[in-house]
Amino acid sequence: MKGPILQVRGVTKKFGSLIAVNDVSFDIEDGEVVGLIGPNGAGKTTLFDTLTGINTPEGGRVIFREQDITGMYPHRICKLGISRTFQVTRAFTSMTVEEAIRVGAYNRYGEREVDSKVDEIIEFFNMKNIRRTACSDLGLAPLKRVGLARAMATEPTLLLLDEAGAGLNATEMAELMYMLTTLRKERNITLCIVEHVMQMVMGLCERIIVLDYGVLIAEGTPGEISENAKVIEAYLGKRSVK
Amino acid sequence: MSTVIQNLLNGAMMGFIYALIALGLSIIFGVMNIVNFAHGDFVMLSMYFTFWVGSLWSIDAFATPVITFPLLFLFGILVYFLIIEGTLRQKYVTQIAVTVGLLTLLRALAQIVWKAQPRALPYSLIQGSLDIGPVTILLSRLVSAGVSLVAILLVYLFFTKTWQGRAIRAASDDLDAASLMGVNYRWVYAFSFGLGSALTAIAGGLLMSFQQVDPTMGLRFGLLSWCILALTGLGSIPGLLISGVIVGSAESLAMSLWDPRARSLIIYLIFVLVLWLRPRGLFGRK
Amino acid sequence: MKDAQKRLISIGFLVVALLLPLLFRKNAYSMILLTTIVLYGVLTTAWNIIGGMAGQLDLAAGAYLGLGAFTSGTLLIRWNITPWVGMIAGGLVATLFAIAVGFPLFRFHIREVWYALSSAALVEVLRVVFLMWEEIGGPVERFLPFHTFSLYHLRFASYIPYYYIMLGLLVIALLVNRRIRRTRLGYYLLSLGDDEDAAEVLGVNARAYKLRALVIYAFIVGITGSIYACLYGFIHPMVFSSPISLEVAILGIVGGMGIPFGPLLASVILVSAREFLRASIGGQLESLYLAIYAVVLIVIALFKPRGLAVLIQDVYARIRAVLSSAEGRTNL
Repeated sequence: MKGPILQVRGVTKKFGSLIAVNDVSFDIEDGEVVGLIGPNGAGKTTLFDTLTGINTPEGGRVIFREQDITGMYPHRICKLGISRTFQVTRAFTSMTVEEAIRVGAYNRYGEREVDSKVDEIIEFFNMKNIRRTACSDLGLAPLKRVGLARAMATEPTLLLLDEAGAGLNATEMAELMYMLTTLRKERNITLCIVEHVMQMVMGLCERIIVLDYGVLIAEGTPGEISENAKVIEAYLGKRSVK
Repeated sequence: MSTVIQNLLNGAMMGFIYALIALGLSIIFGVMNIVNFAHGDFVMLSMYFTFWVGSLWSIDAFATPVITFPLLFLFGILVYFLIIEGTLRQKYVTQIAVTVGLLTLLRALAQIVWKAQPRALPYSLIQGSLDIGPVTILLSRLVSAGVSLVAILLVYLFFTKTWQGRAIRAASDDLDAASLMGVNYRWVYAFSFGLGSALTAIAGGLLMSFQQVDPTMGLRFGLLSWCILALTGLGSIPGLLISGVIVGSAESLAMSLWDPRARSLIIYLIFVLVLWLRPRGLFGRK
Repeated sequence: MKDAQKRLISIGFLVVALLLPLLFRKNAYSMILLTTIVLYGVLTTAWNIIGGMAGQLDLAAGAYLGLGAFTSGTLLIRWNITPWVGMIAGGLVATLFAIAVGFPLFRFHIREVWYALSSAALVEVLRVVFLMWEEIGGPVERFLPFHTFSLYHLRFASYIPYYYIMLGLLVIALLVNRRIRRTRLGYYLLSLGDDEDAAEVLGVNARAYKLRALVIYAFIVGITGSIYACLYGFIHPMVFSSPISLEVAILGIVGGMGIPFGPLLASVILVSAREFLRASIGGQLESLYLAIYAVVLIVIALFKPRGLAVLIQDVYARIRAVLSSAEGRTNL
């Protein structure tokens, strides 16, 4: 496919008088891994909400695979190929792991094939031993994995990850990074990750976008971003910039 | 034409009292996000307390809030700690179930203590009426409206001017930040619930000056409160007054021009209309 | 619990239920109690679809019950159309109404509160409307034609046939529940009930599926309404009952949301308890039984919010654990 897989054009989202996302524009190319970083409250999750249809922006457009998806219902956007995980994995409290994954799998599969899809996902994410565990009984790391697994079960082309690395220890982080890399290679997924954990960002992302107070302040390779004065200022304050 | 004006006036005056009731609910729902299905029955309970106090000590209905206000305040705090607090960390369903249980309990208790037939107090000291042109204004209603207005004003001032009031509003906006600043959320919540309940005591006293009470009235007041809340949205106390007047007038007009039994109908229609046309913000996301 | 075991237990209960009338046929009070329990069973099991699974706190069971009763009853009274046809018509009317109500309401992610409130108000509105509508309703009871035994008119002198018809409905409701639970509809509804945003992002069309749940529930309740009318022999606007609506929802919540047999269990236990209380103390202190009932509800909701069914499952699991550990010890 020619052209970027996702085009964000001048998206603005307000909550009353608070401008959470302010005229943000950027592209994501097919197959890329893009990082979305910024201090807390920069509007990253809100932007994700807009991209997945959970909120409707006051201004701007979102174009996915040459189709305008601005203001579409979330389930339609999912059908078109965008999935996401949440910062706080909202587990389906009344379900087990395999049931939660099944919900995602039904996106593209009917009753007859859904079982095998669920099996396949469980296999890939190494969750055979917890497949019948209630989601409400899971610890943080396996819970996050379920969030990722059920999002993958919907077979997206673009996957948005919201702080998938938060709260993970070194081993869990390494596992996650390995899984994401494998996903990307085997399934040709485009990734956009919101992250605070710098090693994940620097280790995985080819390109980074930086938001601060809802405004896009920088865009570039990891190397460029780490030297960018505006970025440093955003995180550490004006005085820190030499 | 004069009937229309008469109805509008009567309705508006009732609307002030309705606004007061809705204010109580607004505090509870707005501050703590608590759904108290039994709020209408708190009004019913207040009215019964008014009847009880009024007949026991031969006090005029208008004077009873002196006693019933602290009573309902304590009752509210009791209900909060005993019943409501346990539901805060659970799904919404639990809160609704519990408050529905509460309303059933209140109705049953009212029926046991005071039986099913309506109760009323002997006529208030405030009698008579004012005749302004084609309309007649009953003094008891006028005074009721006035008292409601004053009460609402006092609450408004409390929440905007006093430290305690602002602390409560801060707590409702951001619980963690407020806690860090020394606001004890449990007491904030209990106080708010108590206040919201106690306001119904004032309304109850006012209503009993010209109405009677029976165990099934809770439903009507509940519906009224939620309808007013839906119309106003949260956070606007003056808005409650306006919505109260609208609802009161609509009810009054419907009852006289259409059918006395249509009273709840019109409230529901308003409610549905609001839900259809203004579903965002107050009602959900996006 | 294994599937085979479950099936055995269910069949066991069914057999018992089928044979109960033989025990109680001489006692009209017991028969109507049993029939009432089964009636609540049907209503709460149907409610489970919209309330337990989809998480929409519907307080309008009375609305659909009444619509079913009035449709079927009016068809019978005016045009002598058999309730067997009338019940389908009643179900359809209830369904259409449900769609009219649900369609605008489910447009956005509306908070549970507002759905609960508007459904509660719905029942009241219908009650008043039918009270005012002299043509079809009005304040006086409209009696259905009386027969001692007429399959055509669905009128019987004894309660026993009604019991069996309700039981049939109950079985259907349970089967429908089970079927839904195992298919996409069930999974989608449960996910919506748990976390609507997360569900939508996974491809669940919230509004469409909630409507589907509402429609199935309304249809079943509508049909039940028709039989309800025949059971009582008359139609009157009080069939649009808020107390019944509240009770159905409460039984559904207390029974265990989402679990197919949970609400039924709650119905059996709590309705029997209520009637028992009413029979023993109700006479003297009019509403004491209701007060106690309310307290029980509050206590259960506060301490075992996942419901009676889960409580019983826990107890069952604990018993099994004790039994199997006892076994283990003797084996050593």
